[in-house]
Amino acid sequence: MNEFLQGGLYGGGIIVAIMSSLLFVLWTERKMAARMQSRIGPTFTDPLGFLQAPADVLKLLQKEDIIPEKADRALFNNAPLLGATVAIAGAAVVPFSATIVGADLEVGVLYLLAVGALGVLPVFAAGWGSNNKFALLGAMRAIAQSVSYEVPLVLAALVPVILAGSMKLSDIVAYQSSHHWLVVWPFFLGIPAFGLFMLAMLAESNRIPFDIPEAESELVAGITTEYTGMKFGLFYMAEYLHTVIASAVASALFLGGYDGPIAPGLWWMVLKTGLLVVAIYWLRWSLLRFRSDQLMALCWRWLVPSGVVLVVGAAVWVVFAG
Amino acid sequence: MAVTPPPLRTVDTGAGFRHPLYQVMLETPGLTVGTAALDDLLSWGLTKAMWIFPMATSCCGIEFMATAASRVDIDRMGVIVRATPRQADVMVVAGTITTKMAPRVLKLWEQMPEPKWCIAMGSCAISGDFYRNLYSVVPGIDTFLPVDVYVPGCPPNPEALMHGMMRLQEKIQRQRKGENVVPELNPDLLKITQPSVPRLNEATRSPTQTLEQERASENPTLDEETDPLVVPPSEPAPGLAPLVGADFQALLIELGVAELPKDGPPVIPAAQHLELARRLKGLGYRQLVTIAASHWPAGKGRKGADAAEVEHHEIAYALRTVGPGSRLASWAVKVPVAEPVLTLAGVFAGADWQEREQFDLVGVRFAGHPDLRRIMQTENATTHPLRREFPADAHLAPWR
Amino acid sequence: MTQLTVTAQKRPNPYLSIDSLDPESELMLLHFGPQHPSTHGVFRMDLYLDGEIIVKAVPHCGYLHRAVEKLCEKLSYVQLTPIVDKNDYVAPMTNEQAIVMACEAMLKLEVPRRARWMRALFAELQRIASHLLAIGTFCLDLGGALGGGSTAFIYCFRERELILDLFEDVTGARFHYNTHTIGGNRHDLPAGWGAKVKAVLDVIEARMPEYAALTIENRIFQQRTKNVGVLDGELALELGVTGPNLRASGIDHDLRRDAPFHAYDEVKVNVAVATGGDCYARSIVRVAEVKESLRLCRAFLDGMPEGPINSGKPTKLTVQTKIPAGQVYVGIETPRGELGTWLITDGTQNAYRLKIRPPSLHALSALPYILPGYTVSDAVAILGSLDPIMGEVDR
Ligand code: SF4
Repeated sequence: MNEFLQGGLYGGGIIVAIMSSLLFVLWTERKMAARMQSRIGPTFTDPLGFLQAPADVLKLLQKEDIIPEKADRALFNNAPLLGATVAIAGAAVVPFSATIVGADLEVGVLYLLAVGALGVLPVFAAGWGSNNKFALLGAMRAIAQSVSYEVPLVLAALVPVILAGSMKLSDIVAYQSSHHWLVVWPFFLGIPAFGLFMLAMLAESNRIPFDIPEAESELVAGITTEYTGMKFGLFYMAEYLHTVIASAVASALFLGGYDGPIAPGLWWMVLKTGLLVVAIYWLRWSLLRFRSDQLMALCWRWLVPSGVVLVVGAAVWVVFAG
Repeated sequence: MAVTPPPLRTVDTGAGFRHPLYQVMLETPGLTVGTAALDDLLSWGLTKAMWIFPMATSCCGIEFMATAASRVDIDRMGVIVRATPRQADVMVVAGTITTKMAPRVLKLWEQMPEPKWCIAMGSCAISGDFYRNLYSVVPGIDTFLPVDVYVPGCPPNPEALMHGMMRLQEKIQRQRKGENVVPELNPDLLKITQPSVPRLNEATRSPTQTLEQERASENPTLDEETDPLVVPPSEPAPGLAPLVGADFQALLIELGVAELPKDGPPVIPAAQHLELARRLKGLGYRQLVTIAASHWPAGKGRKGADAAEVEHHEIAYALRTVGPGSRLASWAVKVPVAEPVLTLAGVFAGADWQEREQFDLVGVRFAGHPDLRRIMQTENATTHPLRREFPADAHLAPWR
Repeated sequence: MTQLTVTAQKRPNPYLSIDSLDPESELMLLHFGPQHPSTHGVFRMDLYLDGEIIVKAVPHCGYLHRAVEKLCEKLSYVQLTPIVDKNDYVAPMTNEQAIVMACEAMLKLEVPRRARWMRALFAELQRIASHLLAIGTFCLDLGGALGGGSTAFIYCFRERELILDLFEDVTGARFHYNTHTIGGNRHDLPAGWGAKVKAVLDVIEARMPEYAALTIENRIFQQRTKNVGVLDGELALELGVTGPNLRASGIDHDLRRDAPFHAYDEVKVNVAVATGGDCYARSIVRVAEVKESLRLCRAFLDGMPEGPINSGKPTKLTVQTKIPAGQVYVGIETPRGELGTWLITDGTQNAYRLKIRPPSLHALSALPYILPGYTVSDAVAILGSLDPIMGEVDR
């Protein structure tokens, strides 16, 4: 078959699938948060408030699009698009099952990290372009945060790469299904690396307790302060996309990906990703927020050194025990 | 200099809509049904996801928070509270809006993207409540904002706000169908309930002018009266000698400063009060409690004053000892209205704001105050409302 | 006795002009408020920022100046209670008490014992409700509306609703009760109310560990609040800061014990004092006060005497009631500190001048001293920990 056609089909299919999964994610989060707070959550949009997310999108689509007079129009208009694109680009290399994978690159992990690092661009563009002090402060925080947390993220992702001896995500999953899932054995490397990866991912996707770039109580709405309608909606979506894809990547790297007994691979992948997403939201709705300097201290004082130790440990393990 | 008013917001009724596609749409079979369905869908989206910008200023704001909390849970309607007006659909004005705040409210309203709605929550937002005739309160936000739903109460229960939101949903849906949802008013009733303040869209009112005036008042220009009065606070005042002595404490009791007598605190010569405050602080009266100034027109004074009293201010001070058996010390200073009083800000840091407040409201001037600006009213206000001649039912421009 | 354990720091000078601090004008001016999610109402701070560090803070209040003092000059004495309710709208009960006590002092009215005990009970219940709200909104400031902060906030509100229900049983209103009259109380306690109160107290007591886990025992909470916004005890006294904010600075001062009113002279009050003067100290003082109030509420309920609830005169007090000329100052301990009423009368049926001493105004006046040197995130925490209510700041 024509390669472009195939790519388009695959890509389109995956994008549609992930987008529709957002519906579940949004609903789950809102309902879960409500339950945690002894509330009920959306009920007016039947069934069980399930159509809340479509209603939100429908509404956002109808809102006026305001561009502040003094904003940098090019940056301001393109930042949301870029944000959503970058967020979804990571999905290209994630193996959802042995056969469903957009592009099984040789350098899959590298690609993921590169795309993740790009995520800071739209944030900065939005913060700078809006010509708003709150947005600017938020953008500055976000840059400092993303750049710092890039390091532990890379270090944590290196551990499975070293153990599996490949940067290809499907190889890493294959390694785990032929040996053990990384969090099972060698657990003393796998579990810390997994934790580190999740923490750094949370920080990268700006979720509580690392959501300081858009800290509502301090910076009104951070980088999105000036955004209206669907432009804000794109940012909103990108945030959730980021969480979902980060969870998918984490489950591929550490939890054995689509490997699992009985059920087909896709189910396992969805299950693992879903569990991780729920865990992230659980954290989000029960923790307070760090201050930015504390966040940096956490990164450079604890996460980076432990990441280095883990990488060295992985190398030693491969040489002597692997 | 004449200022050209900004153009009024006009409502597009759609009467002038003459796009060629419009005819095609009307004539294509089935298309109108389809567009009607689409319209329903869109208004469904609008009503089910109303994000609120809380303009919560006072007590009603607390009830608004209670509405968002677990007992009533406004999230059931899909409402998210957004902190930035850019992402909100409904502005809930919960609480009293003052003349100082009103320009900001208007600005925030203008920052909200269309389509947008406004709910006036509580009597204050609706009509100004019992503050409506006072000098600083806006008599109802519909003097400058188009209100869609009024939720009466002081404060309205959370359930009432919920009901208001549902009425707003109804209104949105019916408006989209082209229904006129403005209730028909009985002309007789209208006469009775005619507000004393012309509402928006009324011919007798000129909103542009209001806006301009308010905007102009936003630029802080220094009040003439706040010109710095440079009197160094530590300058030794004449007549201090008799107070400064070993038997100072005895003098205190003699003067009755240690307790508050029924007729009011003892009056100390204005020149001595700074030293008295210093000494009291040394004696353990370390906490500044309050500074209360009052204005007495000519011929009037505290109990027992003679009728020939000139117009004067009486500024009462109170200090406290801390710990068990706390005692209050207070004294008063009497000065003619034109004369300043020495500031206490050098002795008690908290006197700063207290004196600013008394200056703002009563009009007492404090010599040597480091930062004597208005604190409650806008910085270019010209009146001192707590003076006796200032009417309680003030009719201040531009709201009346 | 008071012992100052807070090390006296160099006090910043809030009057330095911004030009002297910033000769090259490189600072960023951030208008924080008047409408901002965490200004607790309408309050504005002009923050001069060096990066994210605050160099100078200029607070502006008055955005909710409702002219209550002028209004009180216009109204007669019996009409005052519903007006002052709206000042500190988180603790309306104590507002009413301050004003009726001032009038009673002028009229030399003896308040029956039962009424005084009821007032004390109301005040303590109100303190619990108010501190719950303070803790909840403080968490909201720390954690954001879309995160763990709102969870703590909603838990606190859930319990606050229980107390509002109790008040609703007595007075018919959720808040703004108008239940105190000059000389006593308007509504007697309904039958079986005591049992309901006890049940609510038990619920709150049982849930206290949950809040503690979400707030003062939480590591992130501690990191965000410890050593942030340190208010020196001596400065606090000078500024007139009272209530939990003062006690968190190591000053052992509580009017309930030190200048007893209501029924506090008949029941022992333990005063919670913390040293440190930072946001964390202010939070733990509040939590400790909730616990103490739970105990006090039980004590007041158990010892509630029988008898009339007003001095008999209020039935005769009308809008025509005149109060003889004189002056009085009455200060009581509300959840936020010393709420004072300075009443000057001239023998007519209206107050000549009514000055309300709002504890929150004094607390806010500490901001220019304690904000410099902290970041914007800290500013939010500091403001939240002072627990200001703008209604009473601006009146
Ligand atoms: S209507 Fe009543 S409760 Fe609401 S803000 Fe006004 S005074 Fe407060």
